[in-house]
Amino acid sequence: MSIEVNNASKSFKSNNKDVLTVLKDINLKIDDGELICLVGPSGCGKTTLLRLIAGLENPTSGEVIANGEIVKRPSGDRAVIFQQYSLFPWLTVLQNVTFGLEMTGKGSDDENIKAAEKYLESVGLVEFKDSYPHELSGGMKQRVAIIRSLLNNSPILLMDEPFSALDMQNRHKLQEQIIEFREKLNNTIVFVTHDVDEAVFLADRIVVLDRNPGRIAKIVNVDIERPRKRDSKEFLDIQDSIVECLDVDE
Amino acid sequence: MLDDYDNKFIPWVLPIIIIIIWYLITCVLNLFSAYILPSPVDVVNSAWIVIQNGKLLTNTVNTLFKVFAGLLLASVLAIPAGILLGWYKPLEELCSFVISILRPIPPVAWIPFSILWFGIGTIPAVFIIFMGCVFPILVYTIDGVKRTDKVLVESAQTLGADDWNVLKRVVLPSALPYVVSGLKVGIGIALMCTISAEMIGSSSGLGYMILTATNLFDTGTTVVGMLVIGIIGLIFDYVFTKAQDRIFW
Repeated sequence: MSIEVNNASKSFKSNNKDVLTVLKDINLKIDDGELICLVGPSGCGKTTLLRLIAGLENPTSGEVIANGEIVKRPSGDRAVIFQQYSLFPWLTVLQNVTFGLEMTGKGSDDENIKAAEKYLESVGLVEFKDSYPHELSGGMKQRVAIIRSLLNNSPILLMDEPFSALDMQNRHKLQEQIIEFREKLNNTIVFVTHDVDEAVFLADRIVVLDRNPGRIAKIVNVDIERPRKRDSKEFLDIQDSIVECLDVDE
Repeated sequence: MLDDYDNKFIPWVLPIIIIIIWYLITCVLNLFSAYILPSPVDVVNSAWIVIQNGKLLTNTVNTLFKVFAGLLLASVLAIPAGILLGWYKPLEELCSFVISILRPIPPVAWIPFSILWFGIGTIPAVFIIFMGCVFPILVYTIDGVKRTDKVLVESAQTLGADDWNVLKRVVLPSALPYVVSGLKVGIGIALMCTISAEMIGSSSGLGYMILTATNLFDTGTTVVGMLVIGIIGLIFDYVFTKAQDRIFW
């Protein structure tokens, strides 16, 4: 499913009634099956852009189009994986994972449970299916959250710094899993991160945002073959060019 | 540090000391006449009498019936109303003054009207209990709904949940612990209201038993009634705390 952001701006009223422009005139076309990373200094509106695409916020002007339709509200077509852990604490892992299928009424309960178990198996969590979220580590929680969105067959996955709370080992493992899943399922993915290394590892294209007001500073194509090696010269070159582009004070 | 000792026995120490002192100043030192302060022996004797003649059981059942009736009516109104008010902010704003003004009025202040409207008996008592526990349940429910984690609501929406499913599958389970807290507070208030209501506008129940016994200088029975109320409160508290342990994740 492709995404188009046309001239989208977003402002908020702050407490002293000043209008704060978070995003100004964003234009971005994302192709079906593409993996885009949004990077930029804090306050550049990368999360806001993601929320506009999700339909969790509406643009002050301009529009977001997903699959040919204007985005007005959240939908099961565009799953969001949040930075904060977002599993339902009163549901088991399995119940969390099948939540979306229940909402959209896809499949029978038995089929859904089988499919969920298959996915959990693939990330090594099937033995935790009857556990509750508080019994899982942070990395496990995010894996369950990802599985929950994947199982729902959302053609678009929107990820808001999902791995920022994890240690490096876990982060790398989950990045690899994202790539694996994408190769199989061909989702369109928009991934917000402040970690340039993460962006270069994952992205087909990196969108670098600048702040005050948030706007697109640069779009970088990452034409490195997968699997990518973090110590290869081309990897480091792209990483350098993006770091240069970001504010020094970040 | 101090967690290591075996604390099963500790809670019983103070009650036993109190009973011993009580026994000493009433039975041994004879400081008070029985109707000013009955001795533990008087209380046990009175307890035996009201257990044998069935008065304790009928009055306890009667009081519990009122408590549950009032609590049930209050819950049936306050829980759905609390969900609505917590969910739709304009509705909460509309009701905020009325709630804020009615809430601090002590339930017993409704006794005059309860007698004027419903006479003497069970119904006025149930009305007082209703007035006593409807507000805590309402306020806790509103609070619980409003405290629903926004990330969970948004997650559900992006998994395809419509408003109704967000309410049913996210807001309600997340507010449940608060609703139970409201019920716990409510039932405590209900018990207090019942006794007050029974002392004024009723002819049955533990409150009535306490008052009539005192009028006959049978203060032993008064103490029995008071202790039974305390024990009922203790049991309620225990049950609700257990329930909370099970649903707080």
